Amino acid sequence: MDNQYLLGIFLVMGVATFMTRLLPFVALTRSQSHPLLARVGRSLPPMIMVILVCFGLSSLQIESLDRLGLSFIALTAVTTLQLSIGNPLLSILVGTGMYTLGVQWFGIA
Amino acid sequence: MSQRVSSELLEALRDSAPVMLGYVPLGMAFGLFFQSLGYHWLFAPLAGLIIYAGSAQFMAVGLLASGVPYAEAFIATLLLNSRHIFYGLSVLDRYPKRGLSRWYLIFGLTDETYSLITAKAPRVDSGHTYYLYLTALNQSYWITGCAIGAGLQSFFEFDPRGFEFALVALFVVLLIEQAKIMNDRWLLILALCAVFVAHFLVPEQFLLVAISLCLVALLVRPKRDLLNG
Repeated sequence: MDNQYLLGIFLVMGVATFMTRLLPFVALTRSQSHPLLARVGRSLPPMIMVILVCFGLSSLQIESLDRLGLSFIALTAVTTLQLSIGNPLLSILVGTGMYTLGVQWFGIA
Repeated sequence: MSQRVSSELLEALRDSAPVMLGYVPLGMAFGLFFQSLGYHWLFAPLAGLIIYAGSAQFMAVGLLASGVPYAEAFIATLLLNSRHIFYGLSVLDRYPKRGLSRWYLIFGLTDETYSLITAKAPRVDSGHTYYLYLTALNQSYWITGCAIGAGLQSFFEFDPRGFEFALVALFVVLLIEQAKIMNDRWLLILALCAVFVAHFLVPEQFLLVAISLCLVALLVRPKRDLLNG
């Protein structure tokens, strides 16, 4: 185990991650009050959340109809709970609990 | 003063609770995965401290296993996290202009922190302590998850299958909370279309391409929005 290499990789990846987050702050300091940019900044977050939900779903690597069904049920539970009761903790716990139970106890592969 | 600080801490604790439920299990999944490399388990929370990016840390395990050179790890991380380039747009005006806190807030601008911060109206009070609390709490959940996962795995076998759904559930919750406060919901349909187009064109980079498409759409159709907004 090469601890020095491990730390080197951590640092390099940490710097790269920081750079992606830093870019707009150093590139846009003068134009930040532009109304168009402000508008884009306001509209972008919910759109990015739509994209991240799709990204999360794709990273589940659903490869069977059973798993697709399980994902659909868990997703419906999260959405319904969040829209009706609106407690994020409950929605996430129930959805993830159902999915994990399905995978581990009922062996839905 | 101290009363304001504690009330902002309480608010940050309340707002970040859903992220805790997403970060702890996902961080655990990373910790378990990381242990397959055979390093000391404490390196897993260290990754959460230094890198602090979910997908990049999962990629790091693969990179470490194959022993890639530093330059390759650097470029791969830039590409993987390039969506973050657009996040700053939404928080430029909210974050402090200088000081150490500015750099930490930028460092900690993950998907989830970004979503929580943009889901609230900009704060008029002088301090940025709320943002600091929120960002630091989120990172502490993540580091805790990484430590629990790797620690558990190093002491006994643990089955994390299914935990990955926590992230999807968290994103769905964040999306619903964002959608509640927006005026023009047709933008959500537009984003969905962007996902389909991007996934069809470049399946392996669809995240970045979809965000870019949304950005272009917002930039070329500004007039109606400006009048409405």
